Amino acid sequence: MKKVVIGSGSAFWGDIFEPALEMAQSGEVQYMGFDHLAELTMAILNRMKAKNPEAGYIPDIIPWTKRLLPVTQKNGIKMITNAGGANPVQAALEVAKVIKELNLAPMKLGVVSGDDILPYINDIRAQGWKFKNLDTGEEDIDSIADRIAAANAYIGADNIIKELKNGADMIICGRVSDNALYVGPIMHEFGWDFSDQYIDRIAAAVTVGHIIECSACVSGGMSNMWKVSERPWDIGFPIAEFYENGDALITKTSGSGGIVNSWTVKEHLLYEIIDPANYLMPDGIGDFTALKLHDEARNRVMVTEMKGKKRPDTLKVCIGFKDGFIGEGLIYFPSPDALAKAQWAEKWLRERFKKLGINFRELRIDYMGVNMLHGEAAEVEDRDYNEIGLRIAGRTHTYKEAEAVRREATHLWTMGPVGSSFGVPMNVRPVIALWPSLVPRDAVKIESQLMEVS
Amino acid sequence: MKKVKLTELAFARSGDKGDVSNIGLMAKSKNIYEFLLTVITPERLKEYFGGMVKGPAEIYPVPHLDSLEIILRQALGGGATCSLRFDQTGKSMGPVLLGMQVLVSEELLEEARAVDESIKKQYGV
Repeated sequence: MKKVVIGSGSAFWGDIFEPALEMAQSGEVQYMGFDHLAELTMAILNRMKAKNPEAGYIPDIIPWTKRLLPVTQKNGIKMITNAGGANPVQAALEVAKVIKELNLAPMKLGVVSGDDILPYINDIRAQGWKFKNLDTGEEDIDSIADRIAAANAYIGADNIIKELKNGADMIICGRVSDNALYVGPIMHEFGWDFSDQYIDRIAAAVTVGHIIECSACVSGGMSNMWKVSERPWDIGFPIAEFYENGDALITKTSGSGGIVNSWTVKEHLLYEIIDPANYLMPDGIGDFTALKLHDEARNRVMVTEMKGKKRPDTLKVCIGFKDGFIGEGLIYFPSPDALAKAQWAEKWLRERFKKLGINFRELRIDYMGVNMLHGEAAEVEDRDYNEIGLRIAGRTHTYKEAEAVRREATHLWTMGPVGSSFGVPMNVRPVIALWPSLVPRDAVKIESQLMEVS
Repeated sequence: MKKVKLTELAFARSGDKGDVSNIGLMAKSKNIYEFLLTVITPERLKEYFGGMVKGPAEIYPVPHLDSLEIILRQALGGGATCSLRFDQTGKSMGPVLLGMQVLVSEELLEEARAVDESIKKQYGV
């Protein structure tokens, strides 16, 4: 049966590089997907582009393509990435420079853009679309309209498929959904369109995309299997062999470390989703309650009976808006009396904040080593801890107040109980809050082009 | 019957979707999955996490995977980008849940231990 072999090369901006290179060197895949965009990343990239019109893409694309392209060219692997971020055209121009600089063979670069709806968001609003907040239920985006820093739709595989059909050797996208980086090549290879006959098989592609799109997270990273993961420092990124009937085999680069078994696949199927029967993606809806997993061999898991529903008429849109500042501090106290010292310091800080009249939107003080992660579920023992950290974080409306929070925490270095230990002070950071919403699919002006580099 | 922490019976991994903390709770066997369905309730989850979870708790059963998808709303301080939590994306919520105590039969506990042993044996640990 015909199959498409596709691997994951990156899950976020800053992911580990060697497993991607090793996968390319293995020659075991036809396509590699590279996701670099988290929810906040688009706001950061937009800010970079505002300062410099030739920025706004993920800068790693230059060093990464320098090392990857000679290998992927040799092994006939097509890379599909959303490292274009807020400026996919410029990212493609940078890759073109790499191709020329390294005297590589001519390449056709597909460039997919148009996910940025900020330039015309008001036109969509004028037509009566209110951009209801999916998290809070707020009906109208009006309250934050003057503070929007980014508004990007999570677009699907349509134009990835189009440019692959046009002969692209690599595709560079903006805010294409992570998932579409995998669904695109699968649909292209099998010649599927979005008509009803392919609904379940596209849902299978959506499901498989979900399984592998977070790179090492399904091959031993963040895993309950951490104790039995083999040579985790040589971790291999995941590979899916996707069959035309909609079944898939999940594995990883041959000879690599890490672990793939039905537990790691299960962990990832359930990861960062809401309703497992309705995993909504721009290209289809995966139903994870129908599928079956089978450990076929070591590091090889078969996924069968995947199904789902037709793609939705709306696209998710992530709107980032400026929403105050965060000031933080961190200080550690040694025994004897570590807990009592930390409690003394908390009292000192709260009194200082009162004296300065800081108007907090929120203030949080955690005892590191005691309850920072466990919160109210912590079992706090009455004993002399070796050491306890106090973490102070305050969110304020103004930069000035956040800076005062940070500063007060540093004063504890000299005002606190004996032995108070401090590291490097942290900087105040601006908050870009997110307003998740939907936008009608038809309202998003997706575009793409083919850039020939010789 | 024996009082044990959930970690004896299940695996868990958590992450974020905005202000939602989601936890995949994976039972070590089909029987344990059936048992977890009866003891892990939205009320029990709300009580366990206390003020950490400001919104409702929801449970989606995934029978083929012997798993529960647990959704805790308004649980991450407004979401990763504005959260004052050190663990902005709620990666620790799953393991924290595994600290919950439940009263379980010796038979189910044996089943769970057999799974732990078989994993260790399979990977030569």
